[in-house]
Amino acid sequence: MSEETLALLTWLIPAGPLLAFFVIVLFANRNRTLSWVLAWLGVFSSLILGWTVALSVATTDLHHLETHPTVVASAIDWLPVGDYFQGTWLKMGVAVDPLTAVMLIMVTFAVTMIFVYSVGYHNWGAPLGTILGVPNHMQEEPLLGRFFGYMSLFAGAMLLLVVADNLLLLFVGWEIMGFCSYSLIGFWHARDYHLSPESIPHIPPRSAAIKAFLTTRVADVVMLLGIVWFYRAFGTLNFSQALSAHSLEEAVVRIGAPALGIMALLLFTGTVGKSAQWPLHVWLPDAMEGPTPVSAVIHAAAMVSAGVYMIIRIYPLIAVGAGPHGNSAVSWTIAGIGAFTALMAATIAVAQYDVKGVLAYSTISQLGFMVAALGVGGYIAAAFHLITHGFFKALLFLASGSVIHGMEHGAHHVHDHHTDPQDMRFMGGLRHKMPVTFWTFFIGGMALSGLPLVTAGFWSKDEIFAEAWHSFEQGNALGIVVLVTLAVAAFLTAFYTMRQISLTFLGEPRTPLAEHAHESNRFMTVPLVLLSIFAVGAGWFGIPESFPVLGPIVNNNFFHHFVGATIYETMAELESLDLVNAAIETLPFSWVPLTASLVVALGGLFVGWWIYGRKALVKDQQDPLVRPLGPLHVFLNRKWYWDELYQVVFIKPTVSFSEKVVYEVIDKGLIDGILHLVALSFYKFGSYMKRTEELVFGQAVDWVKDQFLAMTKVSRQLQTGKIQEYVLVSVLIIAVLTAVILAVNYYGPVNEWFSQIALFVN
Amino acid sequence: MIPLSWYLIVSALLFSIGLYGVMARRNAVAILMAVELMLNAVNINLVAFWRYTAPDRAVGLAWAVFVLTVAAAEAAVGLALIISVYRRRDSVIAEELDTLRN
Amino acid sequence: MDFIQDNLLNLVIFFPLLAALVIFLMPSDAKRTVRWLALILSLVPLALVMVLWFNYDRVDAGLQFETVAQWFPTIGAGYHVGIDGISLAMFLLTTILTPLSILASFQVEENPRMFMFLFLIMETAMLGLFSALDLLLFFVFWEFGLVPMYFLIKIWGGKDREYASFKFFVYTMAGSLGLLLSIQIIGLSMGTFDIPVLMDKWVNLQAGGILPNVNLPVDAVKAVAYWAFVIAFAIKVPIFPFHTWLPDAHTQAPTAGSMILAGVLLKLGAYGFLRLVVPFFPEQANLTAGILATFGMLSIVMGGFAAFGQWDFKRLVAYSSVNHMGFVVLGIAVYAYAYGRAQAFTDPATTTDAIMATSGAVLQMFNHGLSAAGMFFMVGVIYERAHTRDLKQFGGIWSIMPVFGAILIFTSMASLGLPGLNGFVGEYMIVQGSWNIFTVQVALSMIGLFMTGAYILKGIGQTLHGPIKDQWRGLTDMTFREHVVIWPLMLLMLSLGIWPQWLLVFINDTVTKIFS
Repeated sequence: MSEETLALLTWLIPAGPLLAFFVIVLFANRNRTLSWVLAWLGVFSSLILGWTVALSVATTDLHHLETHPTVVASAIDWLPVGDYFQGTWLKMGVAVDPLTAVMLIMVTFAVTMIFVYSVGYHNWGAPLGTILGVPNHMQEEPLLGRFFGYMSLFAGAMLLLVVADNLLLLFVGWEIMGFCSYSLIGFWHARDYHLSPESIPHIPPRSAAIKAFLTTRVADVVMLLGIVWFYRAFGTLNFSQALSAHSLEEAVVRIGAPALGIMALLLFTGTVGKSAQWPLHVWLPDAMEGPTPVSAVIHAAAMVSAGVYMIIRIYPLIAVGAGPHGNSAVSWTIAGIGAFTALMAATIAVAQYDVKGVLAYSTISQLGFMVAALGVGGYIAAAFHLITHGFFKALLFLASGSVIHGMEHGAHHVHDHHTDPQDMRFMGGLRHKMPVTFWTFFIGGMALSGLPLVTAGFWSKDEIFAEAWHSFEQGNALGIVVLVTLAVAAFLTAFYTMRQISLTFLGEPRTPLAEHAHESNRFMTVPLVLLSIFAVGAGWFGIPESFPVLGPIVNNNFFHHFVGATIYETMAELESLDLVNAAIETLPFSWVPLTASLVVALGGLFVGWWIYGRKALVKDQQDPLVRPLGPLHVFLNRKWYWDELYQVVFIKPTVSFSEKVVYEVIDKGLIDGILHLVALSFYKFGSYMKRTEELVFGQAVDWVKDQFLAMTKVSRQLQTGKIQEYVLVSVLIIAVLTAVILAVNYYGPVNEWFSQIALFVN
Repeated sequence: MIPLSWYLIVSALLFSIGLYGVMARRNAVAILMAVELMLNAVNINLVAFWRYTAPDRAVGLAWAVFVLTVAAAEAAVGLALIISVYRRRDSVIAEELDTLRN
Repeated sequence: MDFIQDNLLNLVIFFPLLAALVIFLMPSDAKRTVRWLALILSLVPLALVMVLWFNYDRVDAGLQFETVAQWFPTIGAGYHVGIDGISLAMFLLTTILTPLSILASFQVEENPRMFMFLFLIMETAMLGLFSALDLLLFFVFWEFGLVPMYFLIKIWGGKDREYASFKFFVYTMAGSLGLLLSIQIIGLSMGTFDIPVLMDKWVNLQAGGILPNVNLPVDAVKAVAYWAFVIAFAIKVPIFPFHTWLPDAHTQAPTAGSMILAGVLLKLGAYGFLRLVVPFFPEQANLTAGILATFGMLSIVMGGFAAFGQWDFKRLVAYSSVNHMGFVVLGIAVYAYAYGRAQAFTDPATTTDAIMATSGAVLQMFNHGLSAAGMFFMVGVIYERAHTRDLKQFGGIWSIMPVFGAILIFTSMASLGLPGLNGFVGEYMIVQGSWNIFTVQVALSMIGLFMTGAYILKGIGQTLHGPIKDQWRGLTDMTFREHVVIWPLMLLMLSLGIWPQWLLVFINDTVTKIFS
């Protein structure tokens, strides 16, 4: 297939679901059937296109891949920066290399299966539910159009992220998925719980949605800083250009490897949020409030995988940052967080009663495995486990959804709407009631536990152990820390998985709900079967050549060489430049990690069966671990009290800071207070001026007026109002004047005196 | 011809009588009559001076006619006012009409 | 035709004034006529701006469509207008938002004639300001825009409209006093108020000398004038801590008033920084760029926290404006830092940073105009039906008004800066451009960006989610008219999110020219 065609197909991979989203939201919203048909069209198109492109890459000659890993690269100018013609535009594009290819295989398939499953899960075909925004048990979901709209947008965003050739487009897909996660977790937005104290605690879905969004947002804003720094340091956001050996070498010269390490950690923070690692893991268990298909797709197959996918993508950066010129604290941080999360989550899963809750913590734990693997340099191991986990965890979630459906059937049958259908204590014996669900769940559970040889989980987990051990053998103490921690976590994984299978499926039904459960419809069971094929078979692509017996027979660790080709040459160059500790290499066989895998997997399964499966629990029997563990069990069941801690340390202070300090004290009190003070002082000044004016001018004017009045009192006498007296006065005055004028003109002495005055005046 | 001063003395006498009337009469109509007398005295003065100083020019005559006209108008208006005042106050005695007092 | 072509810019600026007069002459009880006439007439400037748009020479990217005329020759003030890429973007914003705001005000029953009259006058003031190239003319338009807004709030506003309108008017005007004084000194000493001329003469004055005509020391005058300019525009943007007029004004204003206030009037302040403050005082701006960036950061952070603490939906959106404009200020700080110094940078990437941050700031001005107007409109839609904005009383509205819910979420996501919508592009560009220059401020701004998510989700969560409350059962979903108002905004938001080029090239070309 020509490169142009491949490029076009790659562009079209996310296009189907995105288009489906727009069409559903704008036109098909009210029509539930049309909505899911359109959604199916979208994901099936991306499945076909994705597999076509991926297989096309997979069939490329391996040696060619090692030197030219990016098989498809196509970009368009997106953001103008600087001169229109001569400047560098920020480009957006797609690229496909082996890592992308394996992701495409897993994501498109898992997502498509989940879309098929969702139609059955929401009881399409059953009588229509009436209340909006709450689960209408056994009835068709009235907001099915909205559901498939969001799911399509989500699928499109995930695929966009997978094929993105640069960090910004990846971030776009990342955030849009975050929005879809928020919307889908809170899908039943009107749901409220009215629970008794003994039941499993639940927060309303809308609160869980906000929790998810905001917890990941903490990580995302830090990741954004990493992204802008990335662009600044490398001058481009394109993965293959920025993370080439040459580019990294220049960056080390310019800003130094430790700075690159910090940059890597900033970007890693995004993973901590998105892939629910400690300390930002708290959102994922509550995200189980969403419908089960949502849990499967977002919190198993896709969104949380995106976090791990991202750090796998930027692995060369991490390697340089933690390498000889960098700071090993980078790898200790990453591996440390991963390993700790893996162990912590596994311990919590042991004490959970919600069937989805166990799986949620299991997901957190397994993601921790992947992160830890990357921390010790296990690029391929992390990618391998990511792929296998996507398959079997999606399977497990879908199967658990089927179980819940079965329980709800039973609840409907016996008219019991108070018993929690998700509580494993009320299950039991479902192996006979729901055989397909049982066997597929079993397969998924075995894959998760790492049942040796036959399950995909074994091969990927084993590779992680091998990497850790190899790292330790190379002199890195981190390796043994990781190995031991992950081994304990793996033991617990097998243990709680067996516990879960036993409680749910083995023994006899403990409540009427379980008694009357029955198998789910074909929309739901067919995807389960298909996924289990991958849960078993996907691992066989990664059998190491050096593995005893099987290795030489298969003699082609396809996954290792294929995915490794993505950065094989880059890492080799970096190693020769002494910028990284190790390149991509085929691990020599060692009995230590293999023994560890076998022991922990089989041991955990055995102990789990011993406690929970051999003599299955009966009705009202307490979990056998409660008494021996005592307060420890409570601690684990309450999830190490992280939620309560965050509530006290972060949430309540933020709320009161926002409402009281910022708004009341600073804005209204301080700033407005100053303004009001200024205004008040102007007002007071004005009043003062007014009073002064009244006083000063008023009084002075009044005094003048009084004088006038006094004067007039005298002259008033003349005004008698009688006209004849006025005439008399005028006659007298005329007489006097006449006399004066005559005297002045004719009477000697007066004449002289007058002329002297006249002279003086003139 | 008789001397000018005789005419002037007559008009002065008439004027004084008129002035006395204005100042001393109680009735407003009588005051108006006295004012007429004063105006006529002025007229005599005007005509006398005209006849004795510049008889060929019409100035004095014109002036006298003017004064006559104004006197007539003034008498008419004055009487109208008095009638109006009488209607309001039932009195034509000048002493009682002192609302402009103070 | 020739007349239109020669005077295109003047026509665009003054047509709304003409329209206002026509509206004024209508009989006061012809409400329907007045509304429709106002709407149709307000679309004319938009059409004319489209003509400007397609005739704008992007290769030149400098000032175009200039008109110079005599005005006060004795003091050196003339009528000088012209536009470049930045002004053009603002023109587009204004002429898009005004018809939409007018359409949004169709339900105003009390004296719609006066309402539309004031609105159209305000449009002239805004357009005039964005194109003014003479200081006195700029100031006239600046003050001119205040009066209609004052009356709009005072007469058609909410419960506390007296306080809010008064605070808005006096606060802004108080800030402008220094501006006026400085303009006078500049004009008197230089003998001209013409901005392009002054950008050369005033900036190149000898430091340490004495100003002609006024006989004052150059340095002292420049320092004081700089701060006077900064304060006047800082109040308008608004920059924390000069922002407290905004929550009251926005909350009490009628819906359309808030749309224009948040959509355009705030941008007058930012535009003032871009056009006047930095180009007139490049040295002072460069020295205080860090302070500006810090205040921008404070606006982002404190605005975010304050918005989160609100229980009045409209006040929440009002504070979101402080939060978003903080990013614009951050970009302007970079502009201040880098203006005129492009040649001096040893690292050419710093010029790229400056271009990105400044273009991002202008783009953010446009984007925020759209999303803020959209958000205020949506709050207005629910307020009209529920007669309350109290988030505590809302709940479950999505089940009753599904279309409203979907559109509210869309608009909120644009405000939140979700990639794929316009808010993200501007914010990304600003953060990218400011990172290397103001690392600490950018890092701290992330706290504010986080709070953006918190308060947006609070707004939509409290309104839409939760069980249905009986009191809201009868609410009707959005009407056709309301759809016509919001859809253009939504389409613009989506198009700018996916393909921001169409607007960005205009802005980018002008900004690149400034920095070359």
